[in-house]
Amino acid sequence: MTNKKEVWLQKAHKTIDELHKLQPKLNAVVSFVDVEKQVDEALDKMGPLAGMPVILKDNVLYKGIRATASSYMLDNYVATYDATVVSKFKEAGAIIVAKSSLDELGMGGSNITSFTGPVHNPYDLSRIAGGSSGGSAALVASGAVDLAIGTDTGDSIRKPAAFCGIVGFKPTYGRISRYGVIPYASSLDHVGYFTREVKLAAEALMLLSGRDDKDMTSISTPLENVVEALDESLANKRIGIFKNVLDAIDDEDTRTLFFDLMDKAKEQGATLVDISMNTNLIKTVLPTYYIIANCEATANHSNLDGVRFGTHEDGESLEEIMTNTRTKGFGPLIRKRFVIGSYGLMDENQELLLKKAQRVRRKLVEATEKMFESVDVIVAPASSHVAPKLNDPSIDQLSDKYLVAENYMVLGNFTGYPSITIPMGMKNHLPLGINLLSKGYDEKTLLQIAYQLEKLTGLKGLKAKVEL
Amino acid sequence: MERISVKKVHQLARQLMFSLSEQEAKDIVSEFDTLLSQLDLLDRIDTSDCEELVYPFETPTTFFREDVVDHVMDVKDVFLNAPKAENQYFVIPKVVKDNDE
Amino acid sequence: MSFELVIGIEIHCELKTKTKMFSGAPVSFAQEPNTCVNEIDLAHPGTLPSLNKKAVELSLTACKLFHLEIDRLLRFDRKNYYYSDLPKGFQITQQFFPVGKNGYVDIDVDGVSKRVRINRLHMEEDTAKQFHRDDVTLIDFNRAGTPLVEIVSEADMRSGKEAAAYVEKLRTMLEYGHISDVKMEEGSMRCDVNISIRPIGVDAFGTKVEIKNLNSVNNVERAIEYEFERQKTLLLSGQSVVQETRRFDEATRTTVSMRKKEGSVDYKYFPEPNIFPVYVSDEMLAYVEANLPEMPEDRFKRYTHEYQLNETDAKLLVSNKALGDYFEQIVQLGGAVKLTSNWLISEVLAVVDQKGEQSFSQWINPTFFVELFELLDKQVISSKQAKEVFTWMLKGQSPKATVEKQGMSQVSDESLLLSWVEEVITANPQSVIDYKNGKDRAIGFLVGQIMKLSKGKANPALTSQMVKEALSKR
Ligand SMILES: [Mg+2]
Ligand SMILES: [Zn+2]
Repeated sequence: MTNKKEVWLQKAHKTIDELHKLQPKLNAVVSFVDVEKQVDEALDKMGPLAGMPVILKDNVLYKGIRATASSYMLDNYVATYDATVVSKFKEAGAIIVAKSSLDELGMGGSNITSFTGPVHNPYDLSRIAGGSSGGSAALVASGAVDLAIGTDTGDSIRKPAAFCGIVGFKPTYGRISRYGVIPYASSLDHVGYFTREVKLAAEALMLLSGRDDKDMTSISTPLENVVEALDESLANKRIGIFKNVLDAIDDEDTRTLFFDLMDKAKEQGATLVDISMNTNLIKTVLPTYYIIANCEATANHSNLDGVRFGTHEDGESLEEIMTNTRTKGFGPLIRKRFVIGSYGLMDENQELLLKKAQRVRRKLVEATEKMFESVDVIVAPASSHVAPKLNDPSIDQLSDKYLVAENYMVLGNFTGYPSITIPMGMKNHLPLGINLLSKGYDEKTLLQIAYQLEKLTGLKGLKAKVEL
Repeated sequence: MERISVKKVHQLARQLMFSLSEQEAKDIVSEFDTLLSQLDLLDRIDTSDCEELVYPFETPTTFFREDVVDHVMDVKDVFLNAPKAENQYFVIPKVVKDNDE
Repeated sequence: MSFELVIGIEIHCELKTKTKMFSGAPVSFAQEPNTCVNEIDLAHPGTLPSLNKKAVELSLTACKLFHLEIDRLLRFDRKNYYYSDLPKGFQITQQFFPVGKNGYVDIDVDGVSKRVRINRLHMEEDTAKQFHRDDVTLIDFNRAGTPLVEIVSEADMRSGKEAAAYVEKLRTMLEYGHISDVKMEEGSMRCDVNISIRPIGVDAFGTKVEIKNLNSVNNVERAIEYEFERQKTLLLSGQSVVQETRRFDEATRTTVSMRKKEGSVDYKYFPEPNIFPVYVSDEMLAYVEANLPEMPEDRFKRYTHEYQLNETDAKLLVSNKALGDYFEQIVQLGGAVKLTSNWLISEVLAVVDQKGEQSFSQWINPTFFVELFELLDKQVISSKQAKEVFTWMLKGQSPKATVEKQGMSQVSDESLLLSWVEEVITANPQSVIDYKNGKDRAIGFLVGQIMKLSKGKANPALTSQMVKEALSKR
């Protein structure tokens, strides 16, 4: 027993040392967590993750540890309770070693908006890790930990996974409880995680999923044994190639890597099917997302007012306190988004903005469902390009490349269907990812196919070497 | 939909209990222009035949929480994060607005 | 010109649950500040609402009582505004799909029955309580998240009396329904009144004034009467009524302006994404229907038919639910119906103001009455003694203990009684003569003397019988 304790403690401390070394380069950690007590508790449990160091995105609450969601607003906020996913980790014997950086309140795709500064890509420190779960992605990619929690509202796990060359997975909406996770947009928020192997992603799902009565959107549909099912081959699997996305991608290397992988899948017996959606419809993904997410977010964060917890700026009146606190507490990007969200909620605008977006969301969900009539999964490159530079000028927001190729993964959030990104190859020593989407509740097929594709890429366990 | 004005942006910000610099307000107005052109994309979709989709899944649930006390915070935890407290109350400057619900 | 009143009423009513609407923290009854809260009530980051089953059942019960159409798909919305008593920055309510709509209650004013339509009933959560000191405001979140129903009437009432009758009727039904404590003074039931006036014969509505937070049924009537006069005076002098919110000042019995309405506030309502719509199952609805509580009319019928009480007594017991409950408690323990009713109405009600009427059973243990009636029945004490025993019951002493400690038990021992009878008759020869001359009241006099001699302990019936026998032998 004592021996085991020493081994586990050593492992945890080694991980933390590693994180400290990486910190000046990646800037991916917001807080480090004490491990002694956790190791004792984990030894009592002897759960399946036995002493495995893991990381939480800093919007996941762990009792006694600060949870900032990378916003100055919560700089001093110490959680008084455990998120359900943390309770599950404890049950499984995992050791939480750190809280990782995110875009402020999860509202971004670059992880350059954290109040603790940008997170750097472990493959090239001058590039972004992607967001909003960039800290977790960078740390798993660098090999510091094997498993890190992320959250995914648009593509906040699956995009950084692509930029960092790892596995990024979000299960069906409601499969993992959101209780204790600081929200972005409740109807789109998913809890998921990063690994470097599909198998661990499948194993972790068995441990972290499950109905939670504290989350009324948590689902009770039983999960099949997704680990046992991994070995099934690609024979008879129907893979839908998302034409709209590929048509919008102009990077030949990305296309080549993707189609080469698809050819290999075909050799393994998979049937490739071109599928597509009405072009006008798929171009609405981004504005639809933007409106719904910001409308929900502005209300979700009305609790951050300086009265009960978090940053507090003084004032002569309640209104002054709230205004000073929220002006200083939120970054400019957040305030911008709240204004737009609030505009969409106004009585005279709701019909044209929020409700219109919610109706288009239904159209998009119906169109996605329809695509699944002929296929088991829908696949496309997770991004048209490798991770952009930190100082990359803003992208043309109205190009097809941006509207379609860079934002289509939001369909996974609109539908609540499970989705996974795995690395599909390298371009100039930088990773590129492929994304898979399956039907709702069908994590089994999704993980099965991802696992088989992972074999074909030969990139299982891919790790970045960070120049220290 | 009309362009949003800088004035309206400031007014919304006030309602949201924060203030914006002039530059931020202008940025929002121009971001809004982008949004407007994206809204044209939404307008191309005929949604006259469909209801809003609010939740990813629409099968009604049937679960209710039983009316049993499950968790009360320790007072120490209640005030652990409190910016201002005294005698077990949260304290703010005197407010005069009347209760509205 | 004569005017008529147009009145609509909104009532907020706290539900009688153990826990909050959306959290498992206890509902507070005057506990220490901020001791009945958890992270959900304080709107800590990451918390999510979880709907209370009992609160839903009570709301459904209320819907049934008020003949409301029930929407079995429960949906919730956010009402957004920033204020220190609203921790989330929004209230979860049912703006778009109230659980109940289009119902009614029948009220009775001066013997005339009238139907008041209820527009809607919806579930929501209460705010925190604030205490305003000289320079600061203190916030206690114990009340935050307490389950509420809001009941909105149509503008069907035409007088202060009707309004008061409506509020009283709702109050009684909600109390009888075990739905709420309905203590207006303590805020578990809160009443906002919308008033406008218009010339009789005119269909269009006048400008609406809202009077907030009326804390008693009487004040509802008073506020409306005052407001009627105020608005009438304004209109008759050529001025107009301003749309505003006012409050009732108890001291001056007038209404005072709180704030003018500058257009309506935009609460930016939208569906609550954290609560999937919940369907009320057949079982749940059947359970609610099968357990509909007895209403005042039903209880009255039961008291007059089953218990054979006269209408006056039955009405008295029904009008005070706590007293009626207490009555039934005693009867169930074995107290004779008529005796119990008499004692409660003549003795208990007479002293009720000293004690506060809500806690009868804590105030006098109901078994005391059963004991008391037994002592009477077995003639251990006289009814006169019973009154004295009652004063001890009020002090918490059981009748048996009183009889013992005060040496009260009635003397029915014939040899002792006989000695008293002989002693008194011997001492009052004139009474014997009177009796022989046919003056029956001599018996009463002699019995009285024996009572005096026995310090009230002589069994009066037995004594009277023995006096008669003794006299006839003389
Ligand atoms: Mg109202
Ligand atoms: Zn209300």
